[in-house]
Amino acid sequence: MPSSPYLPTSAAYLKESYLLLQAYPDSTLITTKYTFPPKPSKSSNPPTNSESTSTTTSTTPLASLVLKTYNPTSGICLKYRTNKAAEVGRLITALGLLAGGADISLLDGAVPAAGAGAVGGEEEGASVTPTTAGAAASTGANTGAGVSKGKGKGKGKKGKK
Amino acid sequence: MMSKPVGHEEFFTSLTNLLTSTSQKNRGSVYLTQKPLLPTFADQTSTPTGPPSILIRATDGNTNAPNPKTSTDKKKKSKESKVKLSTVVQPEELETFYARYAEVCKAGMTGLKKRDRKQKKAKGKGGAGKVAKA
Repeated sequence: MPSSPYLPTSAAYLKESYLLLQAYPDSTLITTKYTFPPKPSKSSNPPTNSESTSTTTSTTPLASLVLKTYNPTSGICLKYRTNKAAEVGRLITALGLLAGGADISLLDGAVPAAGAGAVGGEEEGASVTPTTAGAAASTGANTGAGVSKGKGKGKGKKGKK
Repeated sequence: MMSKPVGHEEFFTSLTNLLTSTSQKNRGSVYLTQKPLLPTFADQTSTPTGPPSILIRATDGNTNAPNPKTSTDKKKKSKESKVKLSTVVQPEELETFYARYAEVCKAGMTGLKKRDRKQKKAKGKGGAGKVAKA
């Protein structure tokens, strides 16, 4: 399985997804995966990252929610991952808007603020990232290159910090 | 198609069960997909063109077919067969459906991190505060 980029914020994910849906309204599929990490004792192959377990309390496994927008025609795949219960309602509602073809940018006022808040205190500095990455990627969002560019940018920012 | 789309009520009931049982077991996954339901050629003559209906699917990702990559004994142990649901949402029902859908997901996905468990005080973010209260 090729790993595709995880977008840094839900706002960026929704925006990119909107653009992808606009470009390929008929063939784009949105998948929401609610999943628990595999039991460590049973798993033969290690889970994707230590990232998912970093916040896990020792006893109860923490589920995660992965949103994926995939277009088989162009091969573009956008993903966003969260483990915050507070984000679920907003994300599903946003998916409904996407399904209806609504312009997700109408939500821009609300989404980034909530997204930045959900990211948490330690990433306060990263609150600038979504707009930058989103804007950079959206200029070329119809191409795969545009998407990976956005990812690269996000990564660079994080590294610097 | 293997499974027929069911009504919204039935879909939500089954989805609630699916999410709840997954959350209680603390393992497994639930996959939800949505995509436009394109009219077939037969439909196209009768249906006026408009926004397409949305097909919503929910599954637990289990498969009844043995996975050649995993050892078969592991598969046999979990006798549960695949759960598969689907429903069709008309464009005009989207808003109502998704409001309900969001509620069901919020209620069922209890394995996610609760906000109040380890609140780091996301300071002064209006939107975030509102969400926390709800």
